[in-house]
Amino acid sequence: MLHIREIEPDSPYLIDECKIRGYGSRLLVPDSEADVVAAVKQAATSGVPLTVQGMRTGMCGGGVPEGGDVLTTERMDRVTGVGHDKRGYFLRVQPGVTVRQLNEFMRKKGYAVLPSVTPGATEALTSENEPFFYPVDPTELNGSIGGNIATNASGPRTFKYGPTRDWVRRVRVVLSDGSVLDLVRGQLQAAGRRLTVPFADGPREVQLPSYQYNRQVKNTAGMLTEDNMDAVDLFAGSEGIFGIITEADVWLAPAHPLISNIVFFPGDRDAYAFARDFQNCGVMPEFLEFFDSGSLNLIRASRKDDPRFTDMPDLPDYAGSALFFDLLYGPDLPVQYAKLAPLIAAHGGSLDRSWCGYELKDRERFFAFRHSVPQTIFEYVARLKGTSPGIHKMGTDMSVPLDRLDEMMAAYDEVLKRHGLEYVIFGHIGNGHPHVEIVLKNMDDLVEAKKAYTELAERVIALGGSPSAEHGIGKLKTDYIRLMYGEKGVADIRKVKETMDPQWILSPGNMVVR
Amino acid sequence: MRFVVAVKQVPDTTLIKVDENGSLIRQGVPAILDPYAEHALETALAVKRPGDIITVVTMGPPQAAETLRRCLEIGADEAFLLSDQAFAGADVHATARTLAVFVKRFAPDAGLVLCGKQAADGDTGEVPAELAAQLQVPQFCYVTELSRADSGFTVVQDYGDEIRTCRVPAVAVLSVAEGDLNRRLPSIQRFLDAQKIPITTLGRVDLMLGTFSVGLRGSRTKIVSTQTVRTERTGRVTDGTDPVKAALFLKEVL
Repeated sequence: MLHIREIEPDSPYLIDECKIRGYGSRLLVPDSEADVVAAVKQAATSGVPLTVQGMRTGMCGGGVPEGGDVLTTERMDRVTGVGHDKRGYFLRVQPGVTVRQLNEFMRKKGYAVLPSVTPGATEALTSENEPFFYPVDPTELNGSIGGNIATNASGPRTFKYGPTRDWVRRVRVVLSDGSVLDLVRGQLQAAGRRLTVPFADGPREVQLPSYQYNRQVKNTAGMLTEDNMDAVDLFAGSEGIFGIITEADVWLAPAHPLISNIVFFPGDRDAYAFARDFQNCGVMPEFLEFFDSGSLNLIRASRKDDPRFTDMPDLPDYAGSALFFDLLYGPDLPVQYAKLAPLIAAHGGSLDRSWCGYELKDRERFFAFRHSVPQTIFEYVARLKGTSPGIHKMGTDMSVPLDRLDEMMAAYDEVLKRHGLEYVIFGHIGNGHPHVEIVLKNMDDLVEAKKAYTELAERVIALGGSPSAEHGIGKLKTDYIRLMYGEKGVADIRKVKETMDPQWILSPGNMVVR
Repeated sequence: MRFVVAVKQVPDTTLIKVDENGSLIRQGVPAILDPYAEHALETALAVKRPGDIITVVTMGPPQAAETLRRCLEIGADEAFLLSDQAFAGADVHATARTLAVFVKRFAPDAGLVLCGKQAADGDTGEVPAELAAQLQVPQFCYVTELSRADSGFTVVQDYGDEIRTCRVPAVAVLSVAEGDLNRRLPSIQRFLDAQKIPITTLGRVDLMLGTFSVGLRGSRTKIVSTQTVRTERTGRVTDGTDPVKAALFLKEVL
C-alpha cells in the first residue's frame, strides 16, 4: 500500500545531514515496488516531481526536496534472498535496509532462513566455515543501501574494496514512465557511449557524456561515463535522477578476523609522511584513516564535557596526530608489526604509543571513535544554527592521487589560514582523501569558507583529483560539475536526464539543474 | 601484593541465539573474555602498584587459553589454565573447590581474589561466594569501585536498592559488577609482549585433587530439567485515533 501523508514544515523528511531544510507537499511511503510504480505514474500524470529518500544521511541535500512530493523507501527494508554466481555470494535486498542492519544480519547469520535465489545458495552460505560480510563501509552505517547505491557511497574500506558500485550485482529500477527495469551486471552495456534503455513505450537511446570520468582517484563527481559502460552503472551513482531503485543484489566478501590499531604521532606532518610510506612497506591495511591535532583536541574537549563521550581510554598527552588502520589478525601479525615498527619509529611514533584491539566489541569502540570526529563537528554546527540559522557545515570531500598528497595538505593549510578559518582534518588519508572540516563560527566565516572551498576545488582538479570524492553532488555542489567538466559536461548530463526523465519528475535539482 | 583474577571464556552473548528448547546455540559463536571478568581484571589493574603481580586463572577447555592471552594483553602478569577432562561438568561447588585449591597451592600469597559478579553464559553468580567460603576469607559482592586504603582497600558495593562503602582487609574475595570504567586498550607493543608470556596449564593431578572432588563427580547439584518460559504478545492493537474507544479497549484487555 502506498501511504500518503501531508508534510509539516518541521518534518524530518525535509532535511538531511547537510542540515538544509527543503519544502514539499506530501510524503509517499511505499511498501512495495508496485507502490513505487503507482507513485511514479501519479507523478508522471500530474507533473509533480518526486524526491527520492533513503535514510537522509546524505551530505549534499540529495534527498532534500525543493517542492513536490517526497518518496521514502524506509518501509522497504527487508533482505529477501541469498544467491551465488561465479563471483561469489550475494544478498538480495530492498532499498531501505541500512548498512548497519546488513552488517548485523550477516553477523547473526540471519540468511539461514532466507530463500535461495540461485539453487542451494542459502544452504551453501550457511555451511561456510568462514563468515561473510558486505565490505563497503560508508562510515555512516545508518544510511540505506538504496541511498548507498544511488550515491555510489564509499568510506574507509574503499581503500581495499573499492566503492559501492563494485559490489552491486543487480538493480531493479522504476523508470520515469513507471516501467520496471531489471538489470544484472553484464546483461546490458553501452556500445561506445551509446546506451539503449528499454522503456514501456520502446527503447530510448542515451548518449553518455563525453567527458573523461576520473577513476584514478576516489570520485563521485557527476555521473559515471565510459565506453561500453554497464547499464547498472547508469543508476549506481545517479543520485536518483534516472530511476528509483526498488531492489538490488549486493555481493558479499569473506570476512577475515581483523585487529584495529591506532598509532599516535607527534604532529600532523609525521602522520602524513608515515601514510605516504605505508604503501611501500609490504603491509596491506584494510584502510588508513587520519586524525590531525585539531580532531584530537576536539575529542579531548568533548570528553572533558562528557567523560563517557566515546568509550575509549583518555587520549595521551603526547598524541599530536593519529593514524587508524585494521590489519589481518592471523599468525603472521607479529611479522607485520615488525615491518611497521621501524617505519613508525622513523616518523616519531612507537609501538608503545598505540592502541590495538581485536574482539568485536573492542573493534566497535575504534569505529565509534573514528565516527565521533565528524559527529562532534555536526553537533557543534547544529548548536551554531540556533543563533545563525543560515549556517551549514563546511566539509571538504576532495581526493588527490597519493603522490600529490603533500602538495594538497600544504594547500589546505595555506588557503584556509589565508582566509582566517579554523579547521580540522581527518579521514581517508590512504585514498588521498582526507576530510577537511571548516568550523564556522559566524556568517563571515561562511563567506570566507565558500571562497576558500572554490579555490581548493580548483587546486584539487589541477592536481588530478576530484572535488567530490564520496559525498556526491546533490543540490549543494552542482557547481563542481562545471568546474570539472565545463559547460559541455553539464549539458551532456542534462541531455541524459532529458532522455531518461523528460518531465524532470525524479529527484530534480540533483547533480544538474534544469 | 598479588591479585588473583578468576576469569571465564564465554560465547559472545550479544551474538548468541536460543534454540526451541531454550538452550544456547554456542556453535559458530565467537568466544570472548566474559565482560564481568574483564571488569574484575580492569578493577585490579586500576589499583595495581609497581611490584604488584596480577595472576589470572581460568578453568576451561584448552581453547580457553585464548582468553588468558587476552588478559595478558590487557595487563595481567601471569596466567594459569586449569584444564582437565575430569573438570568437565563442574557445578558451583566443584568449580570453587578447584579454584580454591589453585589459590592455596599456586598463589598462597594472594591478597585480593577478584571474580566477575557472574558469568555471561552460566549466570549463577554463586562461584565468588563459594570460593570465599572455601578459602575462609571475607567476601564482598557487587563491587563497583575499588580503591586503596591504609592497610587494605575500600570498596563500593551496589546492591540495587542500597549502595554500601566498606573497608576491606588485604585478603578477601571480591565479585565485581559493571562499574563506570573506561576500559583500557593494550598498545601494540604490549600486545606483542603478551604473546611471549607462557601460560601454565594445570590438571587435576597438578592440583592434587581426587576424581571425586572435581567436575561432574565432584558436583553436588544435578540438573534434572530445564524449562523455557515464554511470554508472547497477543498482537491486539488499537489505533488510538478515538481516545474513548482506545480507553474502552484497554479496559477490556486489562
